[in-house]
Amino acid sequence: MSITTFVTDKAGLQKFYEAVIVKNETYAPVEKFGKFDFKRVLTLSECDPDSPIAKTMSIKPLFFPRAAKIMKYTATSAGTNMKEADEDTLAEKRVILGVKHCDARSLQVLDKVYHWDYHDTDYQNRRENTVIISTRCDKADIHCFCTSLDYDVENMDAMDVLIVNGQEGKVYLQGKTQKGETFLDETVTRDALRVTEEVATPEIKKQYEAFAASFRLKMNYKEVNEKLGKLFDSPEFENVSANCISCNTCAFICPTCHCFKISDEKIKDSGVRYKSYDSCNNGYFTLMAGGHNPRPVKYRRWRQRAMHKFVYYKERFGLNLCVGCGKCAISCPVNISIFEVVNKVIN
Amino acid sequence: MEQLLVPTLCKIDQIIQETPDIRTYRLKFKDDTLMEKYTWLPGQFVEFSILGHGECTFCISSSVTRKGYFDCSIKKAGTVTSDIHNNLDEGDEVGIRGPYGNWFPMEEIKGKNLLFVGGGIGLAPLRSLIQYCIDNRNDYKDFTILYGARTSSDLCYKEEIKEWQKNPSLKIILTIDKAEETWKDNVGVVPKILEEVVKPTVDNTKVITCGPPIMIKYTLLSLDKLGFAPKDVITTLEMKMQCGLGKCGRCNIGSTYVCKDGPVFTYEQLKALPDEF
Repeated sequence: MSITTFVTDKAGLQKFYEAVIVKNETYAPVEKFGKFDFKRVLTLSECDPDSPIAKTMSIKPLFFPRAAKIMKYTATSAGTNMKEADEDTLAEKRVILGVKHCDARSLQVLDKVYHWDYHDTDYQNRRENTVIISTRCDKADIHCFCTSLDYDVENMDAMDVLIVNGQEGKVYLQGKTQKGETFLDETVTRDALRVTEEVATPEIKKQYEAFAASFRLKMNYKEVNEKLGKLFDSPEFENVSANCISCNTCAFICPTCHCFKISDEKIKDSGVRYKSYDSCNNGYFTLMAGGHNPRPVKYRRWRQRAMHKFVYYKERFGLNLCVGCGKCAISCPVNISIFEVVNKVIN
Repeated sequence: MEQLLVPTLCKIDQIIQETPDIRTYRLKFKDDTLMEKYTWLPGQFVEFSILGHGECTFCISSSVTRKGYFDCSIKKAGTVTSDIHNNLDEGDEVGIRGPYGNWFPMEEIKGKNLLFVGGGIGLAPLRSLIQYCIDNRNDYKDFTILYGARTSSDLCYKEEIKEWQKNPSLKIILTIDKAEETWKDNVGVVPKILEEVVKPTVDNTKVITCGPPIMIKYTLLSLDKLGFAPKDVITTLEMKMQCGLGKCGRCNIGSTYVCKDGPVFTYEQLKALPDEF
């Protein structure tokens, strides 16, 4: 596929954003109490597509909602009636602005679990109807380690449109998928000019090299996969999990954590069944009727979390269940970082 | 939205009180054409919803060879199972998803001697296979069922067992943990009876076992002692599950999803899993 690249400047980028928002149903990072969450926006002034990575939530809820209605029902002595839940607003044609690379990658990771054996058609519809526009970060945050994982951050194709800040205020817009190419062609304004690959590639590469040099955290994921797989009985799991207060924040905020629970809410005769987030850090996650619980203590639950991310998912689906975004470490009330956990266990 | 998780409505045709805390719910789809087309294999499970209370995983305890209905045998153990026992009557409606999971290796057990070893509610998944094999009796050789429970009143499917006992082509051995005045059969835990009374030979035999974890543990040791190869011992696991589809992330042991790769495993496969349970 030939790569279409446009060049513009900061002002031209703003005009591009405006054009996106005017022409499409658009989601973008919106600030609230110092954090940015992805919300439906109508004007550019409401949002900040260049929100700082450390303060931006993942786009997971736009594909896997925090609490999705499975169905509604009424159950009376006359019989039971099940109704389809409301229409899925997340499956409409839409664009997401300001997606971080790690977040874009997380969708490729989740695709694996949603598309094996039983295909989750709802997830698939949401995926297919979404154009992802991702701006490459200029500098890594202290908890970031995306460049240490099993994906090529420089040449990844998880986003449809890539935006890179070049030298001297230049901004490059590049289509990474067919969907992204078409989208760019239809959306770029007069302020953006088409440039050849020869011109764009060295500039984009230069930006990547500066970005890649800014990482504090580095690890060898292959070593982690291999060593951790043999350390199921490591006593170190107790030490690394000792501070954990089992609040589950890490799982809810993680772009790749996908465990859920099914629960009913019923008032009088009518009720709703929900699919909502759950986490292996919950003490009751594997508690069975009758009281048997295979993971009754915290270190076993942490072992499951670490092993699922770096061993089990890799074995099963070929990818790490971690994109190195550092969100869990940023949000953890007791400063536990998955990066430190796995590195302590293997060393 | 979330179409994979929407159940189909079934009517409770009959409730059979098996033991003081186990009932069998005989279910039929509200839609007759669905019921006619509905098919499953022994060992598979369904997600059973009591709307407003929740959803639970149960194996189908009857065989597809008995047409027009399917059974779930439910022991009162936790929140939802208590709600099922307390709230559901014959004629009530429940939601069903499934069948899910794998099944007993039907091709491999053909032409073999079959030894079933069950304990308590563990006979439920075995019953599906037992009925299936009885209805295709010519496909199998010797047929032995060893079944035990804590007390005589805790024995499941009492009426059906009487019928099995009348069938000359089946060998039925019953046992209870402690002696009772009116009890004339064996007394002792299942592994002990297995070694001392049944004394099975490994020759061309497949063992299918299910029961409480402690029984499974010692039964596997006994079978080992009797010389059975781990690949000839088949069991079905119980794990906390919610979706049954390999998505919700609850039932994994290592990279194995019990809901997709199981619940039926050979002892050989179990040995290869991380020792989490």
